[in-house]
Amino acid sequence: MDPLLYVFDLIVFIGIFGIVSLSLNLEFGFAGLANFGKVAFFLIGAYTYALLSQIGLPFYLCLIAGGLISAIFGLLVSLPALRLRADYLAIAVLAFGEILRLIVKSEDWLAGGDWGITVSSAISLAGASHRVDALVNIALVYFCLFICFTVAQLLANSPYGRAMRAIREDEIAAETLGKSRAKFKAQALMLGSAMAGVAGGLYAQYLHCVLPGMFMPMITFTVWIMVLLGGPANNWGALLGAALVEIFDRGTNIVKDYFVLPIDPSNLQYILFGALIIFVLLYRPHGLLKESSIKTKALRLAYNGRRSIKNKRS
Amino acid sequence: MVNWAQVIFNSGVTGSLYLIGAVGLTLTYGLSKFPNFAHAEFMTLGAYIGYFVAEQLGLGLPLALLVAFLIAGLVGVLCYRGIFQPLAKRGASIIHLMVASIALGFILRHSIGAAWTWKPLYFTATWSAFDAGPLRITGLWLWLIFAALVLSLAMHFLLMNTKIGKAIRASSSNPELALASGINVDRVIWITWFIGAGLAAVAGIFRGADTQIWPMTGWDIILPIFAVAILGGIGNFYGAIAAAFIIGLAENIGVVGLIALGLSTTYRTGIAFLILIITLIVRPQGLAMLFRRA
Amino acid sequence: MEDALLRIREVSKHFGGVYAVNGVSLDITHGGVCGLVGPNGSGKTTLFNTILGLHRPDQGEIYFHGECINNLAPHQIYELGLVNAFQLPRLFYDLSVLDNMLVAARGHQGDRLFNSLFLRRRWQEQEKGLIEEALDILELVELDKWVSSPAGELSGGQRKLLEVARGLMAKPTLLLLDEPAAGINPVLGKKIFQKLADFSHNGITFFVVEHRLEILFEFASWVYVMDKGRIAIAGQPQNIIGDPTFYTIYLGEE
Ligand SMILES: Nc1ncnc2c1ncn2[C@@H]1O[C@H](COP(=O)(O)OP(=O)(O)O)[C@@H](O)[C@H]1O
Ligand SMILES: [Mg+2]
Repeated sequence: MDPLLYVFDLIVFIGIFGIVSLSLNLEFGFAGLANFGKVAFFLIGAYTYALLSQIGLPFYLCLIAGGLISAIFGLLVSLPALRLRADYLAIAVLAFGEILRLIVKSEDWLAGGDWGITVSSAISLAGASHRVDALVNIALVYFCLFICFTVAQLLANSPYGRAMRAIREDEIAAETLGKSRAKFKAQALMLGSAMAGVAGGLYAQYLHCVLPGMFMPMITFTVWIMVLLGGPANNWGALLGAALVEIFDRGTNIVKDYFVLPIDPSNLQYILFGALIIFVLLYRPHGLLKESSIKTKALRLAYNGRRSIKNKRS
Repeated sequence: MVNWAQVIFNSGVTGSLYLIGAVGLTLTYGLSKFPNFAHAEFMTLGAYIGYFVAEQLGLGLPLALLVAFLIAGLVGVLCYRGIFQPLAKRGASIIHLMVASIALGFILRHSIGAAWTWKPLYFTATWSAFDAGPLRITGLWLWLIFAALVLSLAMHFLLMNTKIGKAIRASSSNPELALASGINVDRVIWITWFIGAGLAAVAGIFRGADTQIWPMTGWDIILPIFAVAILGGIGNFYGAIAAAFIIGLAENIGVVGLIALGLSTTYRTGIAFLILIITLIVRPQGLAMLFRRA
Repeated sequence: MEDALLRIREVSKHFGGVYAVNGVSLDITHGGVCGLVGPNGSGKTTLFNTILGLHRPDQGEIYFHGECINNLAPHQIYELGLVNAFQLPRLFYDLSVLDNMLVAARGHQGDRLFNSLFLRRRWQEQEKGLIEEALDILELVELDKWVSSPAGELSGGQRKLLEVARGLMAKPTLLLLDEPAAGINPVLGKKIFQKLADFSHNGITFFVVEHRLEILFEFASWVYVMDKGRIAIAGQPQNIIGDPTFYTIYLGEE
């Protein structure tokens, strides 16, 4: 295989899962929600993209629709789910994701059943080589990633993000200080689902298909590894985690192709993932990058000028 | 024409399997205060050990059950001691404990995959099927129902009449009080993990013998088992008995319904998921109030 | 008492069989410091939590500015200007001291999702002003050296101070303080009450639970004494001190 194409492919995957990782970071890292059903919203985005592109909608509308429909589902799920304790929420959304997967698996007429749906590329240039195709994909994916990252950063560094973190720390205290936990959590789930939905659409068009088997709960937990490894409540950490996990994934695949190991590398990969995450939880529960502090212009001014403020008073 | 006697009987079979699988989950959930997703892999591990003992060594089902129970129980204790207890001591949140249990699941599942490959295995022992009146029954199912009955009686005796059982109930409902009244809560917890993981292994063998054995054997039924634990009320053994048979009935009657509605029977597994979600939303304490806390 | 700021009528709250608050009626008028004392377990904190909307009263009504707030959520009650500082501090421990203060700011435009993304100018200016206010209050409670430290690094007494400061930050009409001076050195405790008195000139009314009676009675203009979930006696501090029942209820059980 063309090694450059291999690298391009890796970059695309980092971008797509970077978006999902950012979205989980918004929900878990900032708002403290245990979304164990992330893959459900990824699936919704992917199938929406696939179905709409089948009827000939342009790719950007398919992507936006995927994000919107996923956001609506996020909001719907949040209505009953947000009253739940962390563990109940986790189990409920996990089950929700499995139900969705059962539906797309069973309803051949709608979603092609086990055979899935074939999806055409978002942008296909006539006569372009594979490399150019990959570059176009990189441009598209990283454009979306840039938007999601910007949104996540703006939220993180705003009073809104501060309120979200307050709810994560102590939702009762935050509630008595005027932060409606229901509203903030619902919005976090909605925004997170929108991002995951867009990522799903990108994934569908990049892989040229959607199949129920692409949306196993394993996806959710891979994204959890990304966030926990990179550092919750740090958007750079979410991206770093996505990059490391994807590179590690490729690494074990290369090992599989070129070396003979006593243990099947694809098994070894998950054993190492599991061990890594337990190690991180035990010895580095804040991940590689620690939580980013809130940065607003006013805060920066205040911190820089603090001494002068004090001098003025004394 | 629906053979309702068969539907009821099948519900008993399904319920028996879920009960054996759920006891350990509900008890460790009640004591350690987090849902152990790696419970699925305790089942899978049991299925493979059972296969090894019964098929590869040719020692038969009863010995397979015993060996799997002991080994998986030991693995359960080691996992608790090596991972969950240290995490809890470091003040890990419930979310971290859940993620750790999933990570442990990865390790166990793929270690099993590495040891036995992902190719499905089948118990070759043929379970003679015979007809009793309107019922079609296999020997395995009788074994399964028998095992569930023995388990229920044994657990009832353990919880009500032994010191450790009383300690389990006390620690589950009020750990501080149990600690204050001189109960060695730590010992109670690891014994519960031993029994729970061991029983998961027993459930895994029955599931594997009834269908197939592969590294996802346990994960395939983990959500129905969560449904049983939660519908029964977390930590509540008697609630779990009722919930197991309710969900068994719902699945088997549900299949009849699905066929009648012309829907795919792949939705069968979804029935338990739906009950799980509805219970969590409407009544997360499950049936707990209806049963003596145990 | 039409002009009462907070009016509580026959409010009860029980947990299982225990009546933590049992038919309490009281009025808080505008301005000054009103005290609430009583032995441990007499239901003071439960009464506060019920006012705040953390518990729904089993019986009775609570009016704030004449509006019934029984069925409002805690965040709505806060919006009306009724704010609380907890007995056991509930800080956001991973956030900085200053961020803890800013979370409490009432009417921050940047708390809205839309504004945080699209109207950043609008709240940046506001936030500058809020930071000034926060620094003033932090200076007052002697936490100004800790502005950028995580709240989790504060000592027990400092946490208590931040809890109170956070309440002040909301610029409430009525601030409920649950034992603000507990765990703080006596000199600072007294100083805080002096500052509270200053704030009360700026239109904040205080409803304070406090076990340091000598401090409370110096500043309070009216005191309610609670016992076993009921208001046993009420009056001006000097009258309360002279009342023999007060000693049997309160000091007798210490
Ligand atoms: N959440 C609760 N559940 C059960 N009982 C409670 C709860 N909160 C308070 N109580 C009980 O209510 C009574 C009053 O407690 P509290 O309001 O904290 O008193 P105070 O603040 O005056 O010391 C006590 O007997 C306490 O045990
Ligand atoms: Mg109190």
